[in-house]
Amino acid sequence: MSDLEAWRAKAVAWCESMVPTFGKAARKGLSVEDDLALGRRYQKAKFDAGFAGINWPTDLGGQGLGHIEKITFEAEEMKHGFPNVYFGISLGMPVPVLMQFGPDRDFVKERVLKALQGEEIWCQLFSEPSGGTDLAGLRTRAETDGNGWKINGQKVWTSWAQYSDYGVIVVRTDPTVAKHKGLTYFWVDMKAPGVTVRPIKLAGGDSHVNEVFFDDVKISDDHRMSPVGGGFAVALATLMIERYVATDSAGFGPHLDLFVDLAKEVRLNGKPAIEDGRIRQQIARNYAMRAGLDSINVRARRMMEAGMTPGPEGSLNKLVAVRSRQKLSELALDLQGAGGFAFDEHASPKDDWASSWINAPTGRIAGGSDETLLNTIAERILGLPQDHRPDKGIPFNQIPA
Amino acid sequence: MSILYDEGQQAIATESRRALEARVSKDELLPLLQTQGVYHQPFWATAKEQGWTALALPEAYGGLALGLIELGLIAHQAGRTLSGAPFLTSSFGAAKAIELYGSDEQKARWLPDLASGETIGAIAFAAGPDPLPAEPTVTLTGDRLTGIAGAVSGGLFADVAVVLASGPSLVLVDLSGVERAAIDSFDNSRCIADLSFADTPAETLATGDAARAAALHILALQAVVTAHEQTGGAEALMEVARTYAVTRKAFGQPIGAFQSIKHRIAELYGLVELARANCIHAASREGQADFITAAAAARLSATEAYDTAARDCVQIHGGIGVTWEIGLHLHMRRARSLALEQGSSFFWEDVLVDRLAGDEA
Ligand SMILES: Cc1cc2nc3c(=O)[nH]c(=O)nc-3n(C[C@H](O)[C@H](O)[C@H](O)COP(=O)(O)OP(=O)(O)OC[C@H]3O[C@@H](n4cnc5c(N)ncnc54)[C@H](O)[C@@H]3O)c2cc1C
Repeated sequence: MSDLEAWRAKAVAWCESMVPTFGKAARKGLSVEDDLALGRRYQKAKFDAGFAGINWPTDLGGQGLGHIEKITFEAEEMKHGFPNVYFGISLGMPVPVLMQFGPDRDFVKERVLKALQGEEIWCQLFSEPSGGTDLAGLRTRAETDGNGWKINGQKVWTSWAQYSDYGVIVVRTDPTVAKHKGLTYFWVDMKAPGVTVRPIKLAGGDSHVNEVFFDDVKISDDHRMSPVGGGFAVALATLMIERYVATDSAGFGPHLDLFVDLAKEVRLNGKPAIEDGRIRQQIARNYAMRAGLDSINVRARRMMEAGMTPGPEGSLNKLVAVRSRQKLSELALDLQGAGGFAFDEHASPKDDWASSWINAPTGRIAGGSDETLLNTIAERILGLPQDHRPDKGIPFNQIPA
Repeated sequence: MSILYDEGQQAIATESRRALEARVSKDELLPLLQTQGVYHQPFWATAKEQGWTALALPEAYGGLALGLIELGLIAHQAGRTLSGAPFLTSSFGAAKAIELYGSDEQKARWLPDLASGETIGAIAFAAGPDPLPAEPTVTLTGDRLTGIAGAVSGGLFADVAVVLASGPSLVLVDLSGVERAAIDSFDNSRCIADLSFADTPAETLATGDAARAAALHILALQAVVTAHEQTGGAEALMEVARTYAVTRKAFGQPIGAFQSIKHRIAELYGLVELARANCIHAASREGQADFITAAAAARLSATEAYDTAARDCVQIHGGIGVTWEIGLHLHMRRARSLALEQGSSFFWEDVLVDRLAGDEA
């Protein structure tokens, strides 16, 4: 057994041992608050068992292993529906960025350890009402205030802000220069005076995203994580950190097996739907697409194991998988006809078609919209020209609103 | 089995690409379309010289004992350059049928010449739209074959064919005395012909359920080679589209700056990479229980990739795209002929879904 196989076996055994306490059945019917409390206990158990911060440095509480061990564990973890969603962004981007750019190392160490054990949660305050895709177009501003700064403005779509202790934030510190040159990157205490968090209810019924208002929020200069005016680079680094995020060819919706089962149960025109050509075609096309993604992902893992860098085709994952999940979920509801109306707001999008369908659009927007991903593939991988950008090189305050 | 290519495999890809780019050009391929019964001799000569015909056959019969992975790599390159002859797939399919289901005598008789490329093989299973008919149009009586095997790819030049005949039975037929009628096709370089059997001697390879299973297996092997060829074609078209989109200008900028163009090319990238991934996976599953499933997925995604690339690449070129001279229609034609040759998407969708639903015939 290779080291990696041994690691996988250890992960499998641990995950299975956690199912009674933290699995889907244990979470059923819990309020968000109770589920979060369970999640914190899960995160602590994970830390104690040596599965938290797998590829992070040991002096900051991590395991000092590689990316391959991390995704191997996550692939196993994903199978059980544990309450880890609350820490996805926190440990995914803001905390690693803090590790890399946080100026006060003692502070950093304390925060990282608490985040790894589920005691503290971080959020990422990038998007604003004026635009999310156009990250450098943000308007929230920070002005110098004595030795520190004073923040005013509004962020939006901030995941888990209502439960967050800290956040990383990009703000405009100089509106008189080109838009991406006037940004600075800070961390903020989400409980500081002047910070107001207001949950936004999403289409599917849950409220994990928020509006966050900043009214004269005072922070000292030691919160700064980039040079003044150098925030855009750190923001990009934040977005790049999780390049090989955990992948799922089902687009974080139901597995195709569930659709096949449904098609075998349901009758269309008096015959099992699985015999209907339209249904068969969708199953076959979905399978071919998902099998392709799986194969890309396995190859990427093998390459990492062999010390090589995987190709850029991993960037197809979210784009291709979520779109197909959305259509397949519609079709699953079609198949159920009037029986498809039943809806449970708390059902899991991994095994409930209505929940998968209503929540699918967020997957096509959050973490880079389909259009952005296509632009990235076209520009970065294929070398096609950049879009026309009329705001290029113009001082931010002179860009027509 | 690993799905990472090793150094030797990568060398095969590089070398075959170099050889083909030097030997195949659109200007030689265009005239083939207007004539029946001509294939691109330099392509087949290259295949023989380079040992591609021997690649996936056993050493005992003059083969190189490599496998579907290596042959797939070459087929990919052949697809990129629009190989002007169908035999790489069809001879391989016929040879595999003999290797897997033939007697020692049959292997000794046919495999060495199939390996050297001196003998050309063909597969004749289809009846009309059905690539694997329950009731074949060719009748086997005793050891004699009667009837017409329609639209056999490479049939015009094949020396030996593996035929699905009534019974069902899978039989081996020496084509030396067999009458052939060329079919005038939109892709004439495929050398498609109707083969007329009239009391033609045939040797049985398998009968009954075993014959059908064997035929499906052979078809799947060919489908994986073809899927590689389709993926190669799609990849080449994506690159052509990309190059054109950065050079051609309209409204003061390269057309590739228009998102309707650049996103289309990015979508092609997705189709090509999914097809490639499925092809590599399928080739590595040869001999495993899930081979047919993997072959079907490869076949479906490769067909989609090549057809879409052909459509979109022409569109991205505007008017010049539809001219005879620029030759994009060569790919358009090839995309369609390859889509039909080893069973259409309808067929492979059914094969795949039967397997996923757990009731394969
Ligand atoms: C569930 C969820 C959670 C989120 N969590 C966070 C978070 O924690 N922190 C955070 O900072 N943000 C978060 N976001 C915000 C997310 O990053 C943005 O919603 C996303 O970047 C899109 O921005 P937008 O909503 O402002 O849409 P816009 O940027 O206004 O885009 C509108 C439409 O225009 C298209 N578009 C925009 N620019 C282009 C272009 N150049 N070419 C082609 N089309 C274009 C988009 O693709 C989209 O279809 C979250 C969003 C969701 C839905």
